[in-house]
Amino acid sequence: MGSAALAYLGAGLGAGITALGAGLGIGILASKALEAIGRQPEATNKIQTAMIISAALIEGVAFFAAVICLLLTLKV
Amino acid sequence: MVKDSVTTNSAEHKTDASHTGQTQSHSTATHETAQHSGGEGSDVFSHLFSELGDHNGLIIGPYKVSELPMIFYHDQFYFYPNEKAMEQAGTFSFHHGHPVLTSTLNQKEPQKPSFDLSITNFVFFQWLAMFLIMAVLLFVSRKFKKNPLKAPSGLQNVVDAFYCFVRDGVVKPNIPSARAVKRLSPYFFTLFFFILVMNMLGLIPGGHTATSTVGVTGALAITAFLVINITAMRESGVGAWFKHLLGGAPIYLAPIMIPIEILSMFIKPFALTIRLFANMVAGHVVLLSLLGLLFYFQMFIIAPAIVGFSVFIYVIELLVVFLQAFIFTMLTAIFTGLAIGEHGHEGHAH
Repeated sequence: MGSAALAYLGAGLGAGITALGAGLGIGILASKALEAIGRQPEATNKIQTAMIISAALIEGVAFFAAVICLLLTLKV
Repeated sequence: MVKDSVTTNSAEHKTDASHTGQTQSHSTATHETAQHSGGEGSDVFSHLFSELGDHNGLIIGPYKVSELPMIFYHDQFYFYPNEKAMEQAGTFSFHHGHPVLTSTLNQKEPQKPSFDLSITNFVFFQWLAMFLIMAVLLFVSRKFKKNPLKAPSGLQNVVDAFYCFVRDGVVKPNIPSARAVKRLSPYFFTLFFFILVMNMLGLIPGGHTATSTVGVTGALAITAFLVINITAMRESGVGAWFKHLLGGAPIYLAPIMIPIEILSMFIKPFALTIRLFANMVAGHVVLLSLLGLLFYFQMFIIAPAIVGFSVFIYVIELLVVFLQAFIFTMLTAIFTGLAIGEHGHEGHAH
């Protein structure tokens, strides 16, 4: 395997693992937020806002990784 | 990052075109070669992605609407109305899609002009967004000033709703001091509206998303950084701001805490930059990849599926456009609140 092939492999694997981590994070976040809304429906708005912000933070980390994967494929 | 490689791709197209004896300007050359190689799959993606980069012309679909000026500073100002004029004048020429000094063209690393201030399509769309916002807001504020007692109507209601949403939903809950809320509400409202309009201009066919370049989001993040720190200094004093660098830890932890706090101070705007940039680029890349599949396979059967997926992604993009404008504003407000919230409040949470 050449170095280019390895780079593509790394980028693909990286993107996959990134998706896995981000999905897990947002999944846990959504499950807990829904649980909280179920317990306290009157706090829905507050919980939703907090949920969206945390989702954005998780997504931000995922995007850092995705950008690195993209760089890896484009620089080959 | 993405942009660089994109321009390299189009530069390769350009050299192709010049081999066949055509001396065309940069972007027309890209279009030319793309038409030649429309059938050969691999070129389609690079051509489509080159649409995401910056061009020195206003291109809508296959049509070049207008050319944009090239401006350089290299010991003196150079101004060319378009790319052709630049190449004819001879001081600068293209090397891998980047303008370089012609006299250094034969060297291994040709010299770039010290400052490239060319008006690209992104700059154009950013100015368009500014113009739209200014027109709308000045119109609305004039109406409010003229008839302060009349019930708002039409456009006034839209702007009013946005303003109240930003002030009551974003700024007030996050910034503890009422004085700062009053002073910063216009900034946050403008920030939200500006990012929203820039994002939305990219969803119009032929439009470009100015926020999909690191330059634009970086500049927004730098202003956010200044707002965060200057507000903190004004509200809680310069001394408190320096004390905040300690993060509330005892003094003997200073060697650890101060670097961490200084790093976190700079990581926040950096994360804001990358988040907005990556979100806007990611949507376009997915959309263009789907469209690229259509050209790649050249089968009618998959067209309905691709169109369906594209519309689906487009709708998601519409959501993302609002969400990212909201998140950028919200996070700036939260960081400002955290930077101020030293005295009495819950203190530090990062």
